[in-house]
Amino acid sequence: MSRLALPYVDRIWHASGTLELDEALSPQDAFARLDPLLRAPGTSYAVAGDTLTYSKTNPAAQDKLATFTSGTLRIENQPNGIARLVFRVRSTALLLCFLAPLLFLGFAQVGAAINAWEASAEAADKDKSADKDKDKNRPKAALHPIDKFLGAPAPEDPDAKKKDKADKKEKIPTTPAYVLAGLFLVIWMVGRALEPWLLKRALRAALAAPAGAIGSDAAPAAGQGPGPQPETC
Amino acid sequence: MAGVQVGKRIIGAEAPVIVGWENIGRVEGGPFKRFFFTWFQPAVLFGLIAFWYYAPNEWALASIGIAIGLGFKVLLLGLEWVNPRYRSWQLTWKEFATDVFYVGLGYTLVRMMGTYLGDDVMIGAVQDAFAWEKFSWFTGLPLLVQALAISMIFDFGQYWMHRGMHNWYPLWLTHAPHHYITQLNINKGAVGNPVELFLIGLGVGGFFDFLPRAFLIAGAIGMSVATYQHINVRFNTPRWWRFIFNTVEHHSVHHSRDYEATRSNYSGTWIIWDRIFGTCVDGEAELLGQEGGRRMDIGETMVYPFREGYRTTRAWLRRKLRLPEAPGAAVQPEPAE
Repeated sequence: MSRLALPYVDRIWHASGTLELDEALSPQDAFARLDPLLRAPGTSYAVAGDTLTYSKTNPAAQDKLATFTSGTLRIENQPNGIARLVFRVRSTALLLCFLAPLLFLGFAQVGAAINAWEASAEAADKDKSADKDKDKNRPKAALHPIDKFLGAPAPEDPDAKKKDKADKKEKIPTTPAYVLAGLFLVIWMVGRALEPWLLKRALRAALAAPAGAIGSDAAPAAGQGPGPQPETC
Repeated sequence: MAGVQVGKRIIGAEAPVIVGWENIGRVEGGPFKRFFFTWFQPAVLFGLIAFWYYAPNEWALASIGIAIGLGFKVLLLGLEWVNPRYRSWQLTWKEFATDVFYVGLGYTLVRMMGTYLGDDVMIGAVQDAFAWEKFSWFTGLPLLVQALAISMIFDFGQYWMHRGMHNWYPLWLTHAPHHYITQLNINKGAVGNPVELFLIGLGVGGFFDFLPRAFLIAGAIGMSVATYQHINVRFNTPRWWRFIFNTVEHHSVHHSRDYEATRSNYSGTWIIWDRIFGTCVDGEAELLGQEGGRRMDIGETMVYPFREGYRTTRAWLRRKLRLPEAPGAAVQPEPAE
Protein backbone atom coordinates (compact mmCIF):
# COMPACT_ATOMS: atom_id res chain seq x y z
CA MET A 1 0.00 0.00 0.00
CA SER A 2 1.50 3.32 -0.98
CA ARG A 3 1.95 5.93 1.72
CA LEU A 4 -0.10 9.08 1.39
CA ALA A 5 2.30 11.99 0.88
CA LEU A 6 1.29 15.00 2.93
CA PRO A 7 4.55 16.91 3.34
CA TYR A 8 3.11 20.07 4.91
CA VAL A 9 0.86 18.14 7.27
CA ASP A 10 3.77 15.87 8.16
CA ARG A 11 5.85 18.84 9.21
CA ILE A 12 3.43 19.59 12.03
CA TRP A 13 4.91 16.81 14.13
CA HIS A 14 7.82 15.40 12.14
CA ALA A 15 11.32 16.78 11.92
CA SER A 16 14.09 15.67 9.65
CA GLY A 17 17.55 16.83 8.82
CA THR A 18 21.17 15.94 8.36
CA LEU A 19 24.24 16.37 10.46
CA GLU A 20 27.71 16.36 8.92
CA LEU A 21 30.13 14.40 11.09
CA ASP A 22 33.62 15.73 11.66
CA GLU A 23 35.19 12.38 11.03
CA ALA A 24 34.52 9.23 9.10
CA LEU A 25 32.55 7.01 11.41
CA SER A 26 31.12 3.62 10.67
CA PRO A 27 27.46 3.18 11.61
CA GLN A 28 28.53 0.91 14.47
CA ASP A 29 30.92 3.52 15.88
CA ALA A 30 28.38 6.31 15.48
CA PHE A 31 25.62 4.34 17.18
CA ALA A 32 28.01 3.38 19.97
CA ARG A 33 28.49 7.09 20.60
CA LEU A 34 24.75 7.69 20.53
CA ASP A 35 24.08 4.81 22.90
CA PRO A 36 24.39 6.86 26.14
CA LEU A 37 21.90 9.38 24.76
CA LEU A 38 19.42 6.59 24.15
CA ARG A 39 19.99 4.85 27.46
CA ALA A 40 17.08 6.52 29.19
CA PRO A 41 14.05 5.15 31.03
CA GLY A 42 11.27 4.11 28.68
CA THR A 43 13.49 4.04 25.61
CA SER A 44 14.03 1.09 23.33
CA TYR A 45 16.01 0.97 20.11
CA ALA A 46 17.20 -1.41 17.48
CA VAL A 47 19.97 -1.17 14.89
CA ALA A 48 19.62 -2.69 11.45
CA GLY A 49 22.66 -2.07 9.25
CA ASP A 50 23.15 1.69 8.94
CA THR A 51 19.83 2.61 10.56
CA LEU A 52 18.88 2.98 14.20
CA THR A 53 15.18 3.04 15.09
CA TYR A 54 14.16 4.21 18.54
CA SER A 55 10.96 4.59 20.47
CA LYS A 56 10.14 6.19 23.82
CA THR A 57 7.25 5.64 26.17
CA ASN A 58 6.51 8.61 28.40
CA PRO A 59 10.12 9.79 28.69
CA ALA A 60 11.43 11.59 31.76
CA ALA A 61 11.20 15.38 31.82
CA GLN A 62 14.95 15.87 31.43
CA ASP A 63 15.41 13.26 28.70
CA LYS A 64 17.17 15.13 25.91
CA LEU A 65 15.01 13.41 23.31
CA ALA A 66 11.77 13.76 25.31
CA THR A 67 9.96 15.76 22.65
CA PHE A 68 10.66 13.31 19.84
CA THR A 69 9.35 9.99 21.04
CA SER A 70 10.20 7.92 17.99
CA GLY A 71 12.32 8.13 14.89
CA THR A 72 15.14 6.80 12.80
CA LEU A 73 18.82 7.80 12.63
CA ARG A 74 20.78 6.71 9.58
CA ILE A 75 24.50 7.03 8.92
CA GLU A 76 25.39 7.75 5.30
CA ASN A 77 28.91 7.66 3.95
CA GLN A 78 29.40 10.38 1.35
CA PRO A 79 31.71 10.17 -1.68
CA ASN A 80 34.12 12.64 -0.02
CA GLY A 81 34.73 10.13 2.77
CA ILE A 82 32.90 12.10 5.46
CA ALA A 83 29.90 10.49 7.06
CA ARG A 84 26.65 12.22 7.86
CA LEU A 85 23.71 11.46 10.09
CA VAL A 86 20.25 11.65 8.58
CA PHE A 87 17.47 11.82 11.11
CA ARG A 88 13.73 11.66 10.83
CA VAL A 89 11.85 11.92 14.12
CA ARG A 90 8.27 12.23 15.26
CA SER A 91 6.76 14.14 18.17
CA THR A 92 3.37 13.43 19.71
CA ALA A 93 3.89 16.48 21.92
CA LEU A 94 4.15 18.77 18.88
CA LEU A 95 1.03 17.24 17.36
CA LEU A 96 -0.99 17.64 20.57
CA CYS A 97 0.30 21.18 20.95
CA PHE A 98 -0.84 21.95 17.41
CA LEU A 99 -4.29 20.53 18.16
CA ALA A 100 -4.64 22.12 21.61
CA PRO A 101 -6.09 25.39 20.22
CA LEU A 102 -9.06 23.40 18.95
CA LEU A 103 -9.76 22.16 22.46
CA PHE A 104 -9.62 25.66 23.93
CA LEU A 105 -11.74 27.08 21.11
CA GLY A 106 -14.19 24.31 22.00
CA PHE A 107 -14.17 25.45 25.63
CA ALA A 108 -14.84 29.00 24.43
CA GLN A 109 -17.82 27.80 22.40
CA VAL A 110 -19.20 25.83 25.34
CA GLY A 111 -18.76 28.93 27.54
CA ALA A 112 -20.52 31.12 24.96
CA ALA A 113 -23.41 28.64 24.75
CA ILE A 114 -23.75 28.60 28.55
CA ASN A 115 -23.67 32.40 28.64
CA ALA A 116 -26.40 32.62 25.99
CA TRP A 117 -28.50 30.12 27.89
CA GLU A 118 -27.95 31.98 31.18
CA ALA A 119 -28.84 35.32 29.55
CA SER A 120 -32.12 33.97 28.21
CA ALA A 121 -32.95 32.33 31.56
CA GLU A 122 -32.12 35.57 33.35
CA ALA A 123 -34.33 37.61 31.03
CA ALA A 124 -37.23 35.25 31.71
CA ASP A 125 -36.60 35.44 35.43
CA LYS A 126 -35.89 39.14 35.64
CA ASP A 127 -38.55 40.12 38.18
CA LYS A 128 -37.64 37.32 40.56
CA SER A 129 -33.96 38.14 40.53
CA ALA A 130 -34.72 41.78 41.28
CA ASP A 131 -36.48 40.70 44.44
CA LYS A 132 -33.65 38.44 45.42
CA ASP A 133 -30.96 41.06 45.08
CA LYS A 134 -29.20 40.85 48.39
CA ASP A 135 -26.94 43.77 47.68
CA LYS A 136 -29.87 46.15 47.48
CA ASN A 137 -29.29 49.29 49.51
CA ARG A 138 -26.20 47.92 51.18
CA PRO A 139 -24.72 50.46 53.55
CA LYS A 140 -21.52 52.11 52.42
CA ALA A 141 -18.62 50.56 54.34
CA ALA A 142 -16.41 52.93 56.28
CA LEU A 143 -12.67 52.67 56.63
CA HIS A 144 -11.15 51.90 59.99
CA PRO A 145 -9.58 55.02 61.61
CA ILE A 146 -6.11 53.49 61.28
CA ASP A 147 -6.57 53.16 57.51
CA LYS A 148 -7.92 56.72 57.30
CA PHE A 149 -4.86 57.92 59.17
CA LEU A 150 -2.54 55.98 56.85
CA GLY A 151 -4.27 57.45 53.79
CA ALA A 152 -5.95 54.43 52.19
CA PRO A 153 -8.65 55.45 49.66
CA ALA A 154 -12.22 55.21 51.00
CA PRO A 155 -14.35 52.32 49.70
CA GLU A 156 -16.73 52.99 46.86
CA ASP A 157 -20.46 53.26 47.39
CA PRO A 158 -21.74 49.72 46.58
CA ASP A 159 -24.96 51.10 45.04
CA ALA A 160 -22.96 53.28 42.64
CA LYS A 161 -20.78 50.31 41.77
CA LYS A 162 -23.82 48.20 41.04
CA LYS A 163 -24.79 50.53 38.21
CA ASP A 164 -21.45 49.85 36.56
CA LYS A 165 -22.03 46.15 36.94
CA ALA A 166 -25.29 46.38 35.02
CA ASP A 167 -23.65 46.12 31.59
CA LYS A 168 -21.41 43.23 32.44
CA LYS A 169 -20.87 40.17 32.63
CA GLU A 170 -20.33 36.77 31.13
CA LYS A 171 -21.10 33.95 33.54
CA ILE A 172 -18.28 31.95 31.97
CA PRO A 173 -15.52 34.27 30.67
CA THR A 174 -14.56 33.17 27.18
CA THR A 175 -11.53 35.44 26.70
CA PRO A 176 -9.07 33.13 28.56
CA ALA A 177 -10.00 30.25 26.26
CA TYR A 178 -9.30 32.34 23.15
CA VAL A 179 -6.03 33.61 24.63
CA LEU A 180 -4.96 30.05 25.44
CA ALA A 181 -5.80 28.89 21.92
CA GLY A 182 -3.49 31.60 20.57
CA LEU A 183 -0.85 30.83 23.18
CA PHE A 184 -0.72 27.19 22.15
CA LEU A 185 -0.27 28.18 18.54
CA VAL A 186 2.72 30.29 19.61
CA ILE A 187 4.08 27.46 21.79
CA TRP A 188 3.79 25.06 18.85
CA MET A 189 5.63 27.48 16.54
CA VAL A 190 8.41 27.94 19.08
CA GLY A 191 8.64 24.19 19.68
CA ARG A 192 8.62 23.37 15.99
CA ALA A 193 11.63 25.66 15.47
CA LEU A 194 13.46 25.13 18.76
CA GLU A 195 13.17 21.41 19.39
CA PRO A 196 14.74 20.14 16.13
CA TRP A 197 17.61 22.59 16.74
CA LEU A 198 18.09 21.25 20.29
CA LEU A 199 17.89 17.68 18.97
CA LYS A 200 20.59 18.43 16.43
CA ARG A 201 22.75 19.97 19.16
CA ALA A 202 22.31 16.92 21.40
CA LEU A 203 23.15 14.54 18.54
CA ARG A 204 26.20 16.58 17.56
CA ALA A 205 27.47 16.60 21.15
CA ALA A 206 26.95 12.86 21.48
CA LEU A 207 28.68 12.07 18.20
CA ALA A 208 31.61 14.33 19.01
CA ALA A 209 32.33 12.53 22.25
CA PRO A 210 33.96 9.13 22.58
CA ALA A 211 31.54 6.32 23.30
CA GLY A 212 30.26 6.33 26.87
CA ALA A 213 31.30 9.91 27.63
CA ILE A 214 27.83 11.45 27.28
CA GLY A 215 25.25 11.21 29.99
CA SER A 216 22.34 13.24 31.15
CA ASP A 217 23.22 16.22 33.33
CA ALA A 218 20.05 15.57 35.25
CA ALA A 219 20.19 14.22 38.77
CA PRO A 220 20.30 10.44 38.90
CA ALA A 221 16.88 8.95 39.50
CA ALA A 222 16.26 6.96 42.65
CA GLY A 223 17.02 3.33 42.18
CA GLN A 224 19.63 4.13 39.54
CA GLY A 225 23.34 4.02 39.79
CA PRO A 226 25.63 6.91 38.99
CA GLY A 227 24.87 6.75 35.28
CA PRO A 228 21.65 6.41 33.35
CA GLN A 229 20.29 2.89 33.13
CA PRO A 230 17.85 1.73 30.53
CA GLU A 231 14.55 0.11 31.35
CA THR A 232 14.36 -1.46 27.97
CA CYS A 233 17.22 -1.25 25.63
CA MET B 1 19.15 5.10 53.90
CA ALA B 2 18.93 5.92 57.58
CA GLY B 3 16.78 9.03 57.44
CA VAL B 4 16.44 11.68 60.11
CA GLN B 5 14.06 11.59 63.05
CA VAL B 6 11.62 14.49 63.09
CA GLY B 7 9.22 14.16 66.01
CA LYS B 8 8.03 10.58 65.91
CA ARG B 9 8.77 10.13 62.22
CA ILE B 10 11.79 9.14 60.17
CA ILE B 11 12.17 11.44 57.20
CA GLY B 12 14.34 10.50 54.24
CA ALA B 13 14.56 6.74 54.79
CA GLU B 14 13.31 5.96 51.27
CA ALA B 15 14.75 8.84 49.24
CA PRO B 16 17.20 11.65 49.97
CA VAL B 17 15.74 14.61 51.88
CA ILE B 18 17.77 17.37 53.51
CA VAL B 19 16.27 17.99 56.94
CA GLY B 20 16.96 21.32 58.65
CA TRP B 21 18.26 24.56 57.21
CA GLU B 22 21.97 24.08 57.82
CA ASN B 23 22.75 22.15 54.64
CA ILE B 24 20.46 24.01 52.24
CA GLY B 25 22.32 25.54 49.29
CA ARG B 26 22.93 29.30 49.13
CA VAL B 27 22.82 31.69 46.19
CA GLU B 28 26.18 31.73 44.49
CA GLY B 29 27.58 34.68 42.57
CA GLY B 30 28.46 38.33 42.99
CA PRO B 31 27.13 40.71 45.64
CA PHE B 32 24.32 42.04 43.44
CA LYS B 33 23.04 38.58 42.64
CA ARG B 34 23.15 37.53 46.28
CA PHE B 35 21.44 40.77 47.35
CA PHE B 36 18.75 40.39 44.68
CA PHE B 37 17.91 36.77 45.50
CA THR B 38 17.91 37.48 49.22
CA TRP B 39 15.53 40.43 49.19
CA PHE B 40 13.40 39.76 46.11
CA GLN B 41 10.66 37.87 47.95
CA PRO B 42 10.12 40.35 50.83
CA ALA B 43 10.40 43.34 48.46
CA VAL B 44 7.69 41.96 46.17
CA LEU B 45 5.44 41.07 49.11
CA PHE B 46 5.64 44.46 50.82
CA GLY B 47 5.61 46.32 47.51
CA LEU B 48 2.38 44.64 46.42
CA ILE B 49 0.72 45.14 49.79
CA ALA B 50 1.59 48.86 49.62
CA PHE B 51 0.36 49.06 46.03
CA TRP B 52 -3.04 47.59 46.80
CA TYR B 53 -3.33 49.52 50.04
CA TYR B 54 -2.91 52.88 48.32
CA ALA B 55 -4.12 52.17 44.77
CA PRO B 56 -6.96 54.50 43.71
CA ASN B 57 -10.36 52.84 43.44
CA GLU B 58 -10.18 52.92 39.62
CA TRP B 59 -7.08 50.71 39.82
CA ALA B 60 -8.24 48.42 42.59
CA LEU B 61 -9.81 45.90 40.24
CA ALA B 62 -9.58 42.13 40.01
CA SER B 63 -8.60 42.44 36.33
CA ILE B 64 -5.52 44.48 37.27
CA GLY B 65 -4.70 41.88 39.92
CA ILE B 66 -4.87 39.13 37.27
CA ALA B 67 -2.66 41.16 34.91
CA ILE B 68 -0.08 41.70 37.67
CA GLY B 69 -0.22 37.98 38.46
CA LEU B 70 0.47 37.01 34.85
CA GLY B 71 3.32 39.53 34.55
CA PHE B 72 4.78 38.24 37.80
CA LYS B 73 4.76 34.68 36.48
CA VAL B 74 6.60 35.73 33.34
CA LEU B 75 9.19 37.45 35.53
CA LEU B 76 9.56 34.33 37.66
CA LEU B 77 10.04 32.19 34.54
CA GLY B 78 12.96 34.49 33.74
CA LEU B 79 14.38 34.04 37.24
CA GLU B 80 14.13 30.25 36.86
CA TRP B 81 16.30 30.61 33.80
CA VAL B 82 18.84 32.90 35.47
CA ASN B 83 19.21 31.23 38.84
CA PRO B 84 17.79 27.69 38.95
CA ARG B 85 17.68 25.84 42.25
CA TYR B 86 18.44 22.55 40.50
CA ARG B 87 19.60 21.92 36.93
CA SER B 88 17.62 18.69 37.09
CA TRP B 89 14.45 20.80 37.32
CA GLN B 90 15.33 22.96 34.29
CA LEU B 91 12.23 23.90 32.34
CA THR B 92 12.05 22.34 28.89
CA TRP B 93 9.76 23.19 26.00
CA LYS B 94 7.73 20.04 26.53
CA GLU B 95 7.37 20.59 30.28
CA PHE B 96 6.34 24.20 29.66
CA ALA B 97 3.74 23.21 27.06
CA THR B 98 2.39 20.54 29.41
CA ASP B 99 2.21 22.98 32.33
CA VAL B 100 0.40 25.59 30.22
CA PHE B 101 -2.17 22.96 29.27
CA TYR B 102 -3.02 22.43 32.95
CA VAL B 103 -3.00 26.18 33.60
CA GLY B 104 -5.41 26.46 30.68
CA LEU B 105 -7.72 23.85 32.19
CA GLY B 106 -7.72 25.93 35.37
CA TYR B 107 -8.89 29.01 33.47
CA THR B 108 -11.55 27.14 31.48
CA LEU B 109 -12.82 23.72 32.56
CA VAL B 110 -12.14 24.08 36.30
CA ARG B 111 -13.66 27.56 36.27
CA MET B 112 -16.78 26.18 34.60
CA MET B 113 -17.00 23.50 37.31
CA GLY B 114 -16.57 26.19 39.96
CA THR B 115 -19.34 28.35 38.50
CA TYR B 116 -21.98 25.73 39.18
CA LEU B 117 -20.45 23.62 41.94
CA GLY B 118 -17.91 25.89 43.62
CA ASP B 119 -17.72 27.27 47.12
CA ASP B 120 -19.79 30.37 46.30
CA VAL B 121 -22.65 28.14 45.19
CA MET B 122 -22.39 25.86 48.23
CA ILE B 123 -22.09 28.76 50.66
CA GLY B 124 -25.03 30.50 49.00
CA ALA B 125 -27.10 27.34 49.44
CA VAL B 126 -26.15 27.09 53.13
CA GLN B 127 -26.91 30.77 53.67
CA ASP B 128 -30.28 30.40 51.96
CA ALA B 129 -31.11 27.25 53.91
CA PHE B 130 -30.42 28.86 57.27
CA ALA B 131 -31.37 32.42 56.23
CA TRP B 132 -27.87 33.56 57.19
CA GLU B 133 -26.44 36.88 56.18
CA LYS B 134 -22.70 37.21 55.64
CA PHE B 135 -20.70 37.89 58.79
CA SER B 136 -20.21 41.55 58.07
CA TRP B 137 -18.45 42.90 61.14
CA PHE B 138 -15.10 42.18 59.50
CA THR B 139 -15.54 45.19 57.22
CA GLY B 140 -14.95 47.49 60.18
CA LEU B 141 -11.49 46.05 60.89
CA PRO B 142 -8.27 47.61 59.58
CA LEU B 143 -7.61 46.60 55.98
CA LEU B 144 -4.47 44.64 56.72
CA VAL B 145 -6.22 42.68 59.46
CA GLN B 146 -9.01 41.86 57.02
CA ALA B 147 -6.48 40.82 54.38
CA LEU B 148 -4.62 38.58 56.83
CA ALA B 149 -7.91 37.04 57.97
CA ILE B 150 -8.95 36.28 54.38
CA SER B 151 -5.57 34.77 53.56
CA MET B 152 -5.33 32.71 56.73
CA ILE B 153 -8.95 31.49 56.65
CA PHE B 154 -8.54 30.35 53.05
CA ASP B 155 -5.22 28.69 53.77
CA PHE B 156 -6.61 27.01 56.88
CA GLY B 157 -9.28 25.38 54.72
CA GLN B 158 -6.73 24.49 52.10
CA TYR B 159 -4.46 22.94 54.75
CA TRP B 160 -7.18 20.55 55.92
CA MET B 161 -8.38 19.75 52.42
CA HIS B 162 -4.80 18.96 51.42
CA ARG B 163 -4.18 16.94 54.57
CA GLY B 164 -7.41 15.09 53.92
CA MET B 165 -6.19 14.28 50.43
CA HIS B 166 -3.17 12.56 51.92
CA ASN B 167 -5.18 10.63 54.50
CA TRP B 168 -8.44 9.60 52.88
CA TYR B 169 -8.21 7.32 49.88
CA PRO B 170 -11.00 8.80 47.70
CA LEU B 171 -9.48 12.26 48.04
CA TRP B 172 -5.98 10.88 47.54
CA LEU B 173 -7.03 9.46 44.18
CA THR B 174 -7.75 12.99 42.96
CA HIS B 175 -4.51 14.39 44.38
CA ALA B 176 -2.12 11.57 43.45
CA PRO B 177 -1.44 12.75 39.86
CA HIS B 178 -0.07 16.04 41.22
CA HIS B 179 2.51 14.02 43.15
CA TYR B 180 3.84 12.47 39.96
CA ILE B 181 5.55 15.72 38.97
CA THR B 182 9.27 15.08 38.90
CA GLN B 183 10.45 18.67 39.01
CA LEU B 184 9.21 22.00 40.31
CA ASN B 185 8.54 24.96 38.01
CA ILE B 186 6.40 28.03 38.36
CA ASN B 187 3.30 26.49 36.76
CA LYS B 188 3.52 23.07 38.38
CA GLY B 189 0.92 24.05 40.97
CA ALA B 190 -1.66 23.74 38.20
CA VAL B 191 -0.62 20.21 37.24
CA GLY B 192 -3.14 17.64 38.37
CA ASN B 193 -6.52 16.14 37.75
CA PRO B 194 -9.22 18.84 37.29
CA VAL B 195 -11.28 17.32 40.11
CA GLU B 196 -8.42 17.97 42.53
CA LEU B 197 -7.87 21.48 41.22
CA PHE B 198 -11.54 22.16 41.81
CA LEU B 199 -11.49 20.70 45.33
CA ILE B 200 -8.33 22.52 46.44
CA GLY B 201 -9.87 25.82 45.34
CA LEU B 202 -12.83 25.47 47.70
CA GLY B 203 -12.83 27.88 50.62
CA VAL B 204 -15.05 29.12 53.41
CA GLY B 205 -14.22 32.80 52.90
CA GLY B 206 -17.59 33.36 51.25
CA PHE B 207 -19.27 33.20 54.65
CA PHE B 208 -17.62 36.49 55.56
CA ASP B 209 -17.95 39.96 54.16
CA PHE B 210 -14.75 41.90 53.57
CA LEU B 211 -13.88 45.08 51.74
CA PRO B 212 -12.90 44.41 48.09
CA ARG B 213 -9.55 46.09 48.69
CA ALA B 214 -8.85 43.60 51.50
CA PHE B 215 -9.46 40.77 49.02
CA LEU B 216 -6.95 42.32 46.65
CA ILE B 217 -4.33 42.62 49.39
CA ALA B 218 -5.02 39.01 50.43
CA GLY B 219 -4.63 37.96 46.81
CA ALA B 220 -1.31 39.79 46.67
CA ILE B 221 -0.12 37.95 49.80
CA GLY B 222 -1.12 34.64 48.25
CA MET B 223 0.51 35.51 44.94
CA SER B 224 3.77 36.71 46.44
CA VAL B 225 4.13 33.77 48.84
CA ALA B 226 2.27 30.70 47.59
CA THR B 227 3.55 31.12 44.02
CA TYR B 228 7.06 30.25 45.22
CA GLN B 229 5.93 26.77 46.33
CA HIS B 230 6.61 25.32 42.90
CA ILE B 231 9.41 27.56 41.68
CA ASN B 232 12.82 26.43 40.50
CA VAL B 233 14.76 29.41 41.81
CA ARG B 234 17.45 29.45 44.46
CA PHE B 235 16.68 32.14 47.05
CA ASN B 236 18.40 32.98 50.29
CA THR B 237 15.04 32.95 52.00
CA PRO B 238 15.14 35.02 55.19
CA ARG B 239 14.85 33.08 58.42
CA TRP B 240 11.67 34.90 59.55
CA TRP B 241 10.05 34.28 56.15
CA ARG B 242 10.55 30.54 56.19
CA PHE B 243 9.26 30.39 59.80
CA ILE B 244 5.97 32.04 58.82
CA PHE B 245 5.50 31.25 55.15
CA ASN B 246 5.55 28.18 52.99
CA THR B 247 8.58 28.03 50.69
CA VAL B 248 9.79 25.94 47.79
CA GLU B 249 12.11 24.22 50.25
CA HIS B 250 9.14 23.07 52.34
CA HIS B 251 7.15 22.10 49.30
CA SER B 252 9.98 20.14 47.72
CA VAL B 253 10.03 18.02 50.89
CA HIS B 254 6.30 17.50 50.44
CA HIS B 255 6.88 16.34 46.84
CA SER B 256 9.89 14.14 47.59
CA ARG B 257 9.96 10.42 46.82
CA ASP B 258 10.12 9.68 50.53
CA TYR B 259 6.69 8.56 51.77
CA GLU B 260 6.95 10.10 55.25
CA ALA B 261 8.19 13.38 53.82
CA THR B 262 5.14 13.68 51.57
CA ARG B 263 2.97 13.67 54.66
CA SER B 264 4.23 17.08 55.75
CA ASN B 265 3.97 20.76 54.80
CA TYR B 266 0.36 20.79 53.65
CA SER B 267 -0.30 24.53 53.77
CA GLY B 268 -0.23 26.72 50.69
CA THR B 269 0.83 30.07 52.13
CA TRP B 270 1.13 29.94 55.93
CA ILE B 271 3.54 27.20 57.05
CA ILE B 272 2.64 28.18 60.59
CA TRP B 273 -0.50 26.04 60.17
CA ASP B 274 1.82 23.07 59.74
CA ARG B 275 3.87 24.17 62.72
CA ILE B 276 0.71 24.47 64.85
CA PHE B 277 -0.66 21.08 63.79
CA GLY B 278 2.68 19.26 63.93
CA THR B 279 3.17 18.48 60.26
CA CYS B 280 6.00 20.89 59.39
CA VAL B 281 9.33 19.52 58.21
CA ASP B 282 11.95 22.18 57.46
CA GLY B 283 14.29 21.08 54.70
CA GLU B 284 14.62 20.46 50.99
CA ALA B 285 14.56 17.62 48.44
CA GLU B 286 15.68 17.32 44.84
CA LEU B 287 14.39 13.88 43.84
CA LEU B 288 10.63 14.21 43.47
CA GLY B 289 7.70 12.12 42.37
CA GLN B 290 6.16 8.71 42.84
CA GLU B 291 7.12 5.22 41.69
CA GLY B 292 10.78 6.11 41.44
CA GLY B 293 10.15 9.25 39.43
CA ARG B 294 7.81 7.93 36.75
CA ARG B 295 6.37 10.87 34.84
CA MET B 296 2.60 10.77 34.50
CA ASP B 297 1.37 12.00 31.13
CA ILE B 298 -1.71 14.13 30.55
CA GLY B 299 -3.92 11.24 29.48
CA GLU B 300 -3.22 9.21 32.59
CA THR B 301 -3.61 12.29 34.80
CA MET B 302 -7.12 12.78 33.45
CA VAL B 303 -8.27 9.20 34.05
CA TYR B 304 -6.22 8.20 37.10
CA PRO B 305 -8.75 8.91 39.90
CA PHE B 306 -11.56 7.15 38.02
CA ARG B 307 -9.44 4.21 36.83
CA GLU B 308 -7.90 3.57 40.23
CA GLY B 309 -11.22 4.16 41.97
CA TYR B 310 -12.84 1.60 39.71
CA ARG B 311 -10.06 -0.94 40.27
CA THR B 312 -10.15 -0.50 44.02
CA THR B 313 -13.92 -0.79 44.17
CA ARG B 314 -13.84 -3.90 41.99
CA ALA B 315 -11.19 -5.50 44.20
CA TRP B 316 -13.18 -4.60 47.32
CA LEU B 317 -16.34 -6.11 45.87
CA ARG B 318 -14.48 -9.27 44.88
CA ARG B 319 -13.24 -9.64 48.43
CA LYS B 320 -16.69 -9.04 49.85
CA LEU B 321 -18.25 -11.54 47.48
CA ARG B 322 -15.34 -13.94 48.00
CA LEU B 323 -14.53 -14.03 44.31
CA PRO B 324 -10.97 -14.68 43.11
CA GLU B 325 -8.78 -11.60 42.62
CA ALA B 326 -8.58 -10.30 39.08
CA PRO B 327 -5.15 -11.00 37.58
CA GLY B 328 -2.75 -8.11 38.18
CA ALA B 329 -5.10 -6.35 40.59
CA ALA B 330 -3.15 -4.63 43.34
CA VAL B 331 -4.79 -2.28 45.76
CA GLN B 332 -2.96 0.49 47.53
CA PRO B 333 -3.50 -0.13 51.22
CA GLU B 334 -3.07 3.53 52.09
CA PRO B 335 -2.59 6.82 50.31
CA ALA B 336 0.70 7.92 48.86
CA GLU B 337 1.86 4.35 48.37
